[in-house]
Amino acid sequence: MADSRPLVLLAGPPNSGKSTLFNSLTGLRQRVANYPGVTVERRSGLVRLTSGRVELVDLPGVHGLSPRSLDQLVTRQALLGEMQGGRRPDGLVVLLDSTRLRSHLMVAESFLGLGIPTLVALAMADELDRRDGAVEAADLSRELGVEVALVDARDPGTLEPVHSFLEALLTGGEEARACPAVAVADSHIAQLPAHAPTRPLPVVDLFSARRDRARQLGRTAGYRAPRESVVTKRLDALALHRIWGPVVFLGVVALVFQTIFAWAVPLMDATEAMIGISGRYLHAIMPDGWLRALLIEGVWAGVGSVIVFLPQILILFFFIALMEDSGYMARAAVIADRLMHRVGLQGRSFLPLLSAYACAIPAIMSARAVEDERDRLATIFIAPFMTCSARLPVYALLIAAFVPAGPVLGPILGQRAAVLIGLYALGLVAAIGTAALLKRTLLRGRPLPFVMELPPYRMPSARSVATRLLDRAKVFLRRAGRIILAVTVVLWVLTQLPRTSDGGSPPIEESALGRMGQLIEPAIEPLGLDWRIGIGLVTSLAAREVIVGTLGTIYGVEAEDDTTLELRAALQRDMDLGSAVALLVFFAFALQCMSTVAVMRRETGGWRWPSLQFAYMLVLAYLGAWAAKSIL
Amino acid sequence: MLAEVPLEEEVVLVRMDVAGEDVEPLLERGIVPGCKLCPVRHAPVGGPTVYSVDGCLVALRREIASCLCVRSALEAAGVLDSN
Repeated sequence: MADSRPLVLLAGPPNSGKSTLFNSLTGLRQRVANYPGVTVERRSGLVRLTSGRVELVDLPGVHGLSPRSLDQLVTRQALLGEMQGGRRPDGLVVLLDSTRLRSHLMVAESFLGLGIPTLVALAMADELDRRDGAVEAADLSRELGVEVALVDARDPGTLEPVHSFLEALLTGGEEARACPAVAVADSHIAQLPAHAPTRPLPVVDLFSARRDRARQLGRTAGYRAPRESVVTKRLDALALHRIWGPVVFLGVVALVFQTIFAWAVPLMDATEAMIGISGRYLHAIMPDGWLRALLIEGVWAGVGSVIVFLPQILILFFFIALMEDSGYMARAAVIADRLMHRVGLQGRSFLPLLSAYACAIPAIMSARAVEDERDRLATIFIAPFMTCSARLPVYALLIAAFVPAGPVLGPILGQRAAVLIGLYALGLVAAIGTAALLKRTLLRGRPLPFVMELPPYRMPSARSVATRLLDRAKVFLRRAGRIILAVTVVLWVLTQLPRTSDGGSPPIEESALGRMGQLIEPAIEPLGLDWRIGIGLVTSLAAREVIVGTLGTIYGVEAEDDTTLELRAALQRDMDLGSAVALLVFFAFALQCMSTVAVMRRETGGWRWPSLQFAYMLVLAYLGAWAAKSIL
Repeated sequence: MLAEVPLEEEVVLVRMDVAGEDVEPLLERGIVPGCKLCPVRHAPVGGPTVYSVDGCLVALRREIASCLCVRSALEAAGVLDSN
C-alpha cells in the first residue's frame, strides 16, 4: 500500500529552512533511517491531506548535484530514482531562501532540469520584505514554468500552496503535473559522469552561464536583493571579533561543558533512580529464577548504564540544534578552523570532537557535517580519544583510591583534579597525534578547500529543536540499545555458566567469564593487573563504566554508593600506584565501548575502520599502560 | 589576488587558478568569474576571511583566496563604461 502513495522529495540548499518546513508538513509522523548502503540519513514522513496521504522525503541540503560529497551523491540518486528501490519521485518541492535568491536560483537549476512535477517554495519572504527586498512570485513562476509560492514554514497559513500541490499530485490534478519549462540545455546533472574525480575548466563556464541565467531570472521576476541584515552584521561584529570572537567561542564551549557535566547530573540521577525503581519493582513482581536474574542483572543493569547518558546526549543535541538553527555553528567552525587546520582537519570537525567529551556515539554521528570524506573519517577515528563521560566513573574510583587529596596550586587546584585534567590532556594529545598521523598516511591527500557559507542569524524555533531532540533520542536508543542489550546478555550468561552441581550460578572466578579473565591474566600481568581486573576489562568492552560494577561484584561488595569506600580499600590492597596509573592510561586510550564500534561500523559502511581503530587503540593503550607501570 | 584585498573594498572575480575538483565548491556557492566579492571580516587568530558574495556570506581560507584573481569593482565598471 505504501508504494501507492505519491513520493515527493523536498530539496534545496543548506540553511534554507527545509527541516522546519518538513516538520511543519509531517508533524511527528516521521521516520529516520539510513539510505541503503550509505550513511546519509533519510528522513521521511507522511503528509495528511483531504484525499489521502503523501510520502515526503527530506533530502540533504546541497549546493549542487555533482557526486563530490556523500550528501550530493544521495540527493542526485534520489532525484534520478536510483534510491527508494528504483522508484522515481512523483513530485518535488524545491525550497529556496528568498533573501539569498540569486545564489539559490543557481542551485535550483539543477533540480529543475529533471522533468519532475515541481513546486518552488520561497522561504523567508517576511524577512525579505522587512529588509526592503522584493520578488514577484507570479513572474518567477511564468519564467520557470512551475508554480512558485511564498511560504513561511512557521506559519501554517502560508503553506496552503504546498498542500494544494501535494493534493493535486494525489488526485492527478493538471496543475501539479506541470514540469519545469526552464531551458536547462547544459543541465549539470546530465553532463556529469557518475564518478568524475577531476574535471577540466569548462565546469567554470557551465557555472558562469548558470549564474547569468539565475540573474536574468531574478531580473524578470523583479527581484530586489534585501538590504544587509543589521542583526547579522552586529552579531558577527561580536562573534568574529578578533578578541571577543574567541572569548564568545570559549564561553559557549565552557557553557556546553558545564551543562553536560554539572547541570545534567540531577537529570542523570533521576534517570538512574527510575531505572533502579523499575528494576526493584520487576524484581518484586517476578518469580525467582533465571529469567528474573537475566532481566534485572543483565538487561536492566546493562541497558540502564547506557540510558543514564541520555540526558547528557539530549542536552548536547539541544545545544547543537540551537547553534545550528541560530547560525552560530558556522561562525564557531570558522573560529576553530585555524586550530583544526594545524592538525590537518577543518573547522567543521570541531563540533563532533566537542560532542565526544560527552559520548563518542553522537560525535561520530555528527561527523556527517564534515564534507571532506577523508576529514570525516579522521574525525570519526579520533573522536573516541576524547575523554567521554563513561570514563569518569573509572577515573573517579582510581584517582580517589591512589592519588592523595593534597594541593598543587593552593586552593585552586588539588592533586586529584590535576590528575583528572592530565587524563583529559592525554586523550587530547593522542587524538591530535593520531589525526596528524592519519592525514600523513592512510588519509593522505589534498584537502578540499574550506568554503563555509555563513547563514544569516535566525531565532531557532522551539518546534524544530524539539523534533530534532526526539529524533536523536530515538536514534541513540535504537543504535546503542541493541548492541548493549546483546553484549550484556552474553556477559551475564557467561557469569552464570557452568552451573554448579546443585544447579546454582558459579562463583565469579569459576564462571566462564572468570576463566576468560584468568586466560588473559598473563597478557596484563606486565601491567601489574590481575585476573580480577582482567574480567573488568572484558566486561567493560560493553561500556567502560561497567568495570566499576564488575569490580564491585568480584570483590564481594555491593556496588552501591555507600560501599565505594570498601571497593577503594580492596583496590588499594591489590594494586600499587604503578598498576593504578597503568589502568588509567589503558582506559584513556582503549576503545572499550562496543556501542562506539557498532556506530562506527554503520557510519563508515563496514568493519575495516572499526577493526583498525580497535586494534590501534588497544596497542596504544597497552604500550602506554606498560610504559606507565615501568616508569612508576 | 583576493587575499590581498582590504576589508570593505568590492572587487570582481576575473580568474580562478584553482585546480581540478577544488573549484567546484566555490562555483556552487556562486563564486564564479564576474561575481562581486567584498571582504567583510577577518576571522580571529589568522583564520579564514568572510566575504560577501551576491548577498551571501562565505568564509575562505587564505590559500584559496590567494588563487582567485580579482580587479577592483570600480575599475571593472570603468572598463564596461569605456566599452
